[in-house]
Amino acid sequence: MANILFNQVYKRFGKYKEIAVSDFNLTVEDTEFIVLVGPSGCGKSTTLRMLAGLEDVSDGEIYIGDKLVNDIPPKDRDISMVFQNYALYPNMSVYENIAFGLRLRKLPKHEIDLAVKRAARVLEIENFLNRKPRELSGGQRQRVALGRAIVRTPQVFLMDEPLSNLDAKLRVQMRSEIINLHRKIEVTTIYVTHDQIEAMTMGDRVVVMNRGIIQQVDSPEMIYNKPVNMFVANFIGNPPMNFIKGKLQERDGELQFYTNRFDLTIPPAQASTLRSLHMIDREIILGIRPEHISFEPHRIEASSKSLVTGVLQFNEFVGSDRYYHIDIKQDRRLVIRANEGIRCDDGSLVTAAINMDKALFFHKDTEMLLTK
Amino acid sequence: MAVLNKMRQSMARSWSLYRSDFRSMDKTQIFLLLLLTLLAVFMLLPLVFIFNHAFKPLHELFLFPPTFFVRQPTLQNFTDLLQATQDTFLPVTRFIFNSIVVTLLSTVGMVILGALCAYPLAKHPFPGRKIVFGVILLSIMISVETMGIPRYIVVKSLGIMNTYWGHVLPILALPVGVFLLKQFMDQVPDELLEAAKLDGATEWQLLVRIILPIVTPAMATITILSFQTAWSNSETSALFMQDDAMKTLPFYVESLTSNLANTVARQGVAAAASLIIFMPNLIIFLLSQRKVIQTMAHSGIK
Repeated sequence: MANILFNQVYKRFGKYKEIAVSDFNLTVEDTEFIVLVGPSGCGKSTTLRMLAGLEDVSDGEIYIGDKLVNDIPPKDRDISMVFQNYALYPNMSVYENIAFGLRLRKLPKHEIDLAVKRAARVLEIENFLNRKPRELSGGQRQRVALGRAIVRTPQVFLMDEPLSNLDAKLRVQMRSEIINLHRKIEVTTIYVTHDQIEAMTMGDRVVVMNRGIIQQVDSPEMIYNKPVNMFVANFIGNPPMNFIKGKLQERDGELQFYTNRFDLTIPPAQASTLRSLHMIDREIILGIRPEHISFEPHRIEASSKSLVTGVLQFNEFVGSDRYYHIDIKQDRRLVIRANEGIRCDDGSLVTAAINMDKALFFHKDTEMLLTK
Repeated sequence: MAVLNKMRQSMARSWSLYRSDFRSMDKTQIFLLLLLTLLAVFMLLPLVFIFNHAFKPLHELFLFPPTFFVRQPTLQNFTDLLQATQDTFLPVTRFIFNSIVVTLLSTVGMVILGALCAYPLAKHPFPGRKIVFGVILLSIMISVETMGIPRYIVVKSLGIMNTYWGHVLPILALPVGVFLLKQFMDQVPDELLEAAKLDGATEWQLLVRIILPIVTPAMATITILSFQTAWSNSETSALFMQDDAMKTLPFYVESLTSNLANTVARQGVAAAASLIIFMPNLIIFLLSQRKVIQTMAHSGIK
């Protein structure tokens, strides 16, 4: 068990020193489950591989426990890793796959046997210890890969998109199994994924990355409700947050967000923040989650000062909810997530109420959140 | 009885498989199948000839037109072969012994060396590796004859004339083998090696316990290739072995057949010797062909 410290870590690749990871600072607490999430090529896997020792650190320091590991080879870092394509040794049986690391460490035979059987029991793979990896299904292979990782009881557990190759249903099942496994063995875990749902459901804390730079490190709730910038707001959440371009103006003692088509009154608390930031009469971006816009009549009646109207382009049925895509003459359509019970015809003019208490305001140029 | 029944069942199964295969083919496929079968039969002819020739009595050996199949098989040629060298001090078994020693040493050497050379080329991006690989590929283009004199100089200055090393060292590098092995090793996913590294494997363990078991098909191919190269190699005997006791079987056979004075007298002996030279090739191929045909697709890496 150990905590991990990244101190101003950089990674540059190739002849032109392209920056893959830039000024990465992070402390991971002992037994914490932390998720790195971001789009492809954002540097999350590279960060993980630097921690594993599979990539050199271009600049900065990485500590596992109190030990600086920059120049320690992978095998001496006491970490284990689960790969996206499982990376099971095809020439060895499941048993041998799990035992391999212990054999290389020259453990006595009975101890190896005990450890392998224990890991197999935890992961429920006792029945096919004698099979070769090619005789297993994707989910079973993933279990074996997990078994290989936990059998050594490492200090740190790394997972590089371990569920990406599984089908959707299995992914959900394995997700909860990995969480349970983590609770059971309590090893510091760093989990890389591009799937924001995995990030939100699994992580004690989530690290959102983009272009090699950490955007935000926080609990899933904070990341969702208080994203620090438009990238995080857009990346986390499905469907993503709506962004509406507009300007701020004072009218009748109230602060209003107006576009060419509608005006929205900003609640006093947020208004005072925006005033103090001297944002009046300047362009600004309003962010609102799809579930904070409503069609329900009583809401529309109650919030006459925060209504938008637009043409309903189409709607998507997703089971419990329906997503309504509404054209409000902006760059992007407004997406509303509403209860299935509400029916509107495509092409009709609709009015919806925005819950302005939940609205976030972003700077137009820096894209940073203004209302903390 | 049970065994017989099992055999009958499996034969029936394979026949029905064969028939269903045949039925599902279109005309082009059937045409190709026929063509390839004909070609295979044609390729088989020399083998049939070698087998039959070795057992032909003298009068059949010189029949014109020559016949493929032996009419009155005899072992006379083989006894002649054993006695042919009685007038000298060296029995033919000495040449066979030399050949076996040399072939074993060089085959093992070529396979080990090939694997050791291919692994870093495939999996370690050291600077200049493309150039090194390019040079190895280029060396395939250079014919053995052009290297005769430089090799002679090297072997002589190493002082290994008339030793087994003189046979083994000059043929130890097998560029085709390096090429084949590298191509196979390229296909081994890097994650596999990374997983093993995290498991605590050293470079040597990576090669021996992960890579080599995965590239067994390529290793089998290389084994055949290097075996054939070594077993049929007469050049080192001709160039570096002045001592007759150090010469190998292929050289002896060549001297039987190519020496103008002997073309008639020793035909039977030569036919028998050819079969002896050919047999190990066939055996080693039959033993390893399954591995050779086995492809990476079924190795369960992904």
